[in-house]
Amino acid sequence: MGGISLNYLVRRLLVFFLTLWVAATLIFIIPRLAPGDPIAAMVARLSYQAGFVENSNLIIEGWKERFGLNDPVYVQYVRYLTGLLRGDLGYSMARFPSTVSELVGRALPWTLGLVGVATVIFFVVGNLCGALLVWNKTPRMVRVMIPISMMFTSIPPLLAGLLLVYVFGFLFKWFPQTYSYGFGMTPALTLEFIANVIHHGFLPAMAIVLVTFGYWALGMRGMMITIEGEDYMILAQAKGLKPFYVLYRYMIRNAILPQMTALAVSIGTLVNGAVLVEVIFNYNGMGTLIFTALREQDFGLIQGTSFILITTSALAVLIIDLSYPLIDPRISLEGR
Amino acid sequence: MSEKRNGSDSRTVLKVEKLRIHYATPQGDVIAVSDISFNLYEGETLGLVGESGCGKSTTAYGILQLVQPPGYIVNGSIEVDGTEVLNLEEEELRKFRWTGLSLIPQGAMNSLNPTMRVKDQITDVIEAHEGKQKDREALRERIFELFSNVGLPNRIYNMYPHELSGGMKQRVCIAMGVALHPTVVIADEATSALDVVVQRIVAQTLIKVKDEIGVSLIVIGHDMGLLAQIVDRIAVMYAGKMVEIAPVENVYAKPLHPYTQLLIDSIPSIKERKPLKITEGITHDPRNPPSGCIFRLRCPFAWQHCAEVEPPQIMVEDLHEVACHLYDEQFHERRANALATIANS
Repeated sequence: MGGISLNYLVRRLLVFFLTLWVAATLIFIIPRLAPGDPIAAMVARLSYQAGFVENSNLIIEGWKERFGLNDPVYVQYVRYLTGLLRGDLGYSMARFPSTVSELVGRALPWTLGLVGVATVIFFVVGNLCGALLVWNKTPRMVRVMIPISMMFTSIPPLLAGLLLVYVFGFLFKWFPQTYSYGFGMTPALTLEFIANVIHHGFLPAMAIVLVTFGYWALGMRGMMITIEGEDYMILAQAKGLKPFYVLYRYMIRNAILPQMTALAVSIGTLVNGAVLVEVIFNYNGMGTLIFTALREQDFGLIQGTSFILITTSALAVLIIDLSYPLIDPRISLEGR
Repeated sequence: MSEKRNGSDSRTVLKVEKLRIHYATPQGDVIAVSDISFNLYEGETLGLVGESGCGKSTTAYGILQLVQPPGYIVNGSIEVDGTEVLNLEEEELRKFRWTGLSLIPQGAMNSLNPTMRVKDQITDVIEAHEGKQKDREALRERIFELFSNVGLPNRIYNMYPHELSGGMKQRVCIAMGVALHPTVVIADEATSALDVVVQRIVAQTLIKVKDEIGVSLIVIGHDMGLLAQIVDRIAVMYAGKMVEIAPVENVYAKPLHPYTQLLIDSIPSIKERKPLKITEGITHDPRNPPSGCIFRLRCPFAWQHCAEVEPPQIMVEDLHEVACHLYDEQFHERRANALATIANS
């Protein structure tokens, strides 16, 4: 009843690792299919900046040797995969000798925090709004306000971010416009620093929440209407249960199940949106890191950051998948 | 069959008067229940029968104050133990529910919340009306008691609805329905979705529990054979009107209303094949019912008078009422002819 068998767990984990392997392979292949050569491109950029680079051929050769680009492709591939297994994502080419792991290690916590908090907020707020749109005891005011607040849903996250920065960062100066904490502060677990981080994270998180929660509210509304017509709702009413109890124990509890599935499916899209929002706010997370990597054609960093984002998304989906039997008693992963 | 036979001198627990329920549609109101009046006596089992769409379930939901939009109650009076249900304020109504009137629902398959354990669904109705139960052990004993009343094993206590069979779910609904010892229980086609064997067992469970706990029961159904086994009186509905209400043996032995006669005649026999006398469903537009008698368009005995005057409920004998002009004494010759026609066919 409502459990997970070892067999299922093992197979689900295999699928998870298969996903990562396919992703890693694609990330390896795609840059190599593109015309040109990252080292030559980099040296060309250097010589463009400096006017002339002496012995550029030697530099290109030396670096190719250093990054192992002269070895046969399969040797590079095996070295790349074993590196990944050891957690070695290689070097950033533009910021050599920084390793990709170092850069990612500095950026990832910020993104996880921002996207994590934003996800919790839009999921809770969105589903609550959707539920209140259907509940027959919802005050009229709330019923009118929710659809109005949902107009942001049709705005791309990029524009919502710009709008927020302009209005609340630039015009009213209520919130800082850039970065995850104030300049001159050193990250520490003090109340002051945490307050500062929340102050800085508010606008970017709002940019994500504003454009996303309406989507969840609409989905929830549809589910609630379906649940409202179920036979057990008539019985709940006939039983004379308290209205609020019926709302959360009978309606929301049942309507939330497909929403959880939808959340697992949408995590990839969510991360894409967060990348753009981070860039607008110059938030020092993965989004900004990927953006600079792209701008600097830093292939090592692009590969590393993409791989980490794919891993976190796959991990989030895995967690939601495995927790499903806990929230829906009808789904049992035993003996499958 | 319950041995107890109640006369009209028994205490009335439910008194429905001139209950009228409409469904609003863009083309005008559909008259689902049209000025129905009847009494339910203490300890009695009343069967409510009629074809699909005749308003049986709507009547039940009207009594329970559960008519779903676009349906609405136009007028009428519903008194349970002297309480006028239609006048209750929202919170009063909530408290009155399940203690005054409880429901054993139509589709028991889907009437239990799929994400709640059986025990929690019975507990919530107890706690909604009697407050938080501090003594969990006593609560558990009470639920086990209900289980044994309806013949359920204690092991389902912790189960989810999807782990139960259809018959078990129906029993859970019965156990839940009588949990607070309500005055009146309404069973809305409680056995329709079950096979004949389980149907019979569940129906008997229903009667057994009813007698043990001492509630009054309204059973809605279209299985005339099954109802004959379990009810004391039968009320026959046609197109939102109650055409006849009579003790069960009268209905089967000497049905008076032409519609009841057709209905009894159409009960399938397992011994012989016979053609169905009723060939169509309700034929008129429920938005514009015909003048006079509601059944005159299909009635083999209808004459001019039926189109002009709506037949009143005529009390033929104690507890036996019929809404048909044939039983008006001034038309006794027509009645004699009609009965002769039936006897010849």
